[in-house]
Amino acid sequence: MKLLAFERRWLRAIFEAILPSNADDQLSLGVADVPIDRFVDDVLEHAPGQFKAGLRASLWVVALSPLFVIGRFKTFDRLDARARSEVLRCLAQSDIYLVREQPLLFKMVACLGYGGMPAVQRQIGIHPTDSSPPDWAREPERE
Amino acid sequence: MSGELVEFGAVSEPVEDIADVVIIGSGAAGATAGRVLTEAGIDVIIVEEGPHVPTEKLTSDMYTSFKWLWRDMGLQVGQGRAFTPILQGRCVGGTTVINGAIMHRMPKRIFDHWCEERGEGGVLRYEELERIWDQLDLELSVGTAPEDTLGRNNTLMRRGVEGLGLRGNSIRRNVKDCQGSAHCNQGCPTGRKQSMNNTYVPLAIERGARVYATCKAERFIVEGGRARGVVGRFLHPLTHEPGPTLTARARHAVVVAASAIQTPVLLHDNHIGRTSGLVGERLQCHPGAGVVGVFDDPVDMWFGANQGYESTHFWDERMKFESVAMPLEFGAARLPEVGPELMHRLGEYGHLAIWGVQVRARAHGSVRRNLFGRRSIRYDMNDGDIQLLKLGIKRLTEMMFESGAREVLPGVHGLPERISTVDEIEPIFGLTDDPRRFHCIASHMFGTAVMGLGRNNSVVDPRLEAHDLPDLYVTDSSVFPTNMGVNPQHSVCAVSWLAAEGIADRLAGR
Ligand SMILES: Cc1cc2nc3c(=O)[nH]c(=O)nc-3n(C[C@H](O)[C@H](O)[C@H](O)COP(=O)(O)OP(=O)(O)OC[C@H]3O[C@@H](n4cnc5c(N)ncnc54)[C@H](O)[C@@H]3O)c2cc1C
Ligand code: SF4
Repeated sequence: MKLLAFERRWLRAIFEAILPSNADDQLSLGVADVPIDRFVDDVLEHAPGQFKAGLRASLWVVALSPLFVIGRFKTFDRLDARARSEVLRCLAQSDIYLVREQPLLFKMVACLGYGGMPAVQRQIGIHPTDSSPPDWAREPERE
Repeated sequence: MSGELVEFGAVSEPVEDIADVVIIGSGAAGATAGRVLTEAGIDVIIVEEGPHVPTEKLTSDMYTSFKWLWRDMGLQVGQGRAFTPILQGRCVGGTTVINGAIMHRMPKRIFDHWCEERGEGGVLRYEELERIWDQLDLELSVGTAPEDTLGRNNTLMRRGVEGLGLRGNSIRRNVKDCQGSAHCNQGCPTGRKQSMNNTYVPLAIERGARVYATCKAERFIVEGGRARGVVGRFLHPLTHEPGPTLTARARHAVVVAASAIQTPVLLHDNHIGRTSGLVGERLQCHPGAGVVGVFDDPVDMWFGANQGYESTHFWDERMKFESVAMPLEFGAARLPEVGPELMHRLGEYGHLAIWGVQVRARAHGSVRRNLFGRRSIRYDMNDGDIQLLKLGIKRLTEMMFESGAREVLPGVHGLPERISTVDEIEPIFGLTDDPRRFHCIASHMFGTAVMGLGRNNSVVDPRLEAHDLPDLYVTDSSVFPTNMGVNPQHSVCAVSWLAAEGIADRLAGR
């Protein structure tokens, strides 16, 4: 499954709202500082079909949710950082189970890629057993 | 004569092989059966759906391990009112490769209950299981982690448990010289964990077994009304692109050890156990939830035995507590915050401790094929189970504060995201008993091809032979009549061992 260009933009915006850069003195690296696009490609190549379909559906829900959550007629990626955080927080606290699962799903995926990066682990104080980045994070070899 | 391990990529044409016994699955049950049968000089084939990942290829990042070692990349879920991740391994060594290495004997009271209810007594004998557990302990180096590799996630839990006057202990694990790298869920990077890929699978190969990995068993071969082998197909380990077929013929018996989730699917597809109507039914689990504690001093969950301390103090009340060091990739997603708050929290990840409660839930779920022919797992805790879970979360919270936590993140919808006194957990009892409030996982599954005396109320007899198909044995935890309230792998190994001894005796008598 491949995401369309605007879907990718939405996804990046959600990820960056969850794990922003330069938000903490000790942990300056955010998801934008790791090759998260390559991670998403890998997930979309290997994850079970049902999961991928669910991810896409959730992407649309979150991307279009600002209107219903904070009354702003904008897609998620067009909001500023504060509003993005607010949308995610409202969704996560919703009384409707399926709604509050949406940000969790993205958090799970984002953290899986982000947290696996040795550079991130080092900033947190973890001494990673593998100091080289995982396979999915490596530059594809040129022909 | 040494056997071999054959995988997708190494075969370009259909493979045919014959042995005395064909085993499906190389996890706790399958590898143990392989160990016992090959020791008796019986020729064995093991068919394993997942790939073989040698220790030197194991990586510390969770995602890569999900891809190579975990079923459905860790995304298998049970559906009910809530989604419950149903976690399993899919590789040579099965779930033992990614598990916490906890070794617990089945409580005698559970065994007695099985005997009273289902009449297993007489054939399955507890004394026999004890003999096997002793042997497993020796062979799999079962013991507690030394104090210097226990790690603070474990020692803090000890402080909390002891401070409250509860009973607790360092966990007995099947690990030789644990290095405390807290990577058990990614596969032990130093080969210290005595999981089946490091122990009984290579031992069986040494004694002549052929292991066909990345090969999914699909159809039983039945001849003269008896199980006589299995037909499978090699699959690419990541893309699942189909490869050649495997026809593994069995002179004497087929052992199904594909786990309590996959075994019923295989039985169902092959029309076994229909009389009972119980194949895939009565699924029982130990749903578990974790509580996060924030400490002023460093905890450094990334050092120490993943799961090194437990309390069975409330076992009679159907709950058990364990430390659970979570890799960053898991743990981060469990935190309540997003955005800058999450980054601050992650900045202090080294100050977090995570402990869990697992409940001996009464609920029954099922594993079936849905309308589209896909495997469908239904599971939901019932109200009583949820009440237990609430009490368990409260007790974990008390342990956390007792051991000096500054804050606790209970992870329950309807409660504050973080609390700083024990009293603040009390409102949990005012919440509705709704499974959607909790983030539970299940990694211990039982009961989907239950053993018993009659073909109307069980799928296999107490020797674990299918009522419907002679010479077909099921030896994994599908046959357990109930859950146990303790971690299952020790019991799974022992029950499979006993069944394999029975098969060996029968073959010797032929
Ligand atoms: C994260 C995690 C941690 C755990 N920690 C512990 C612990 O610390 N202590 C403990 O006691 N228990 C633990 N468990 C549970 C324990 O590991 C399992 O209960 C035990 O391994 C089950 O043994 P099994 O042989 O039934 O299944 P498995 O060990 O899962 O083995 C079944 C094998 O069969 C293969 N298979 C399935 N279908 C087919 C097919 N059609 N063809 C060929 N092969 C097939 C699978 O790929 C798999 O490798 C944990 C589980 C998880 C997920
Ligand atoms: S804690 Fe580390 S060394 Fe010890 S068994 Fe687990 S992975 Fe292996």
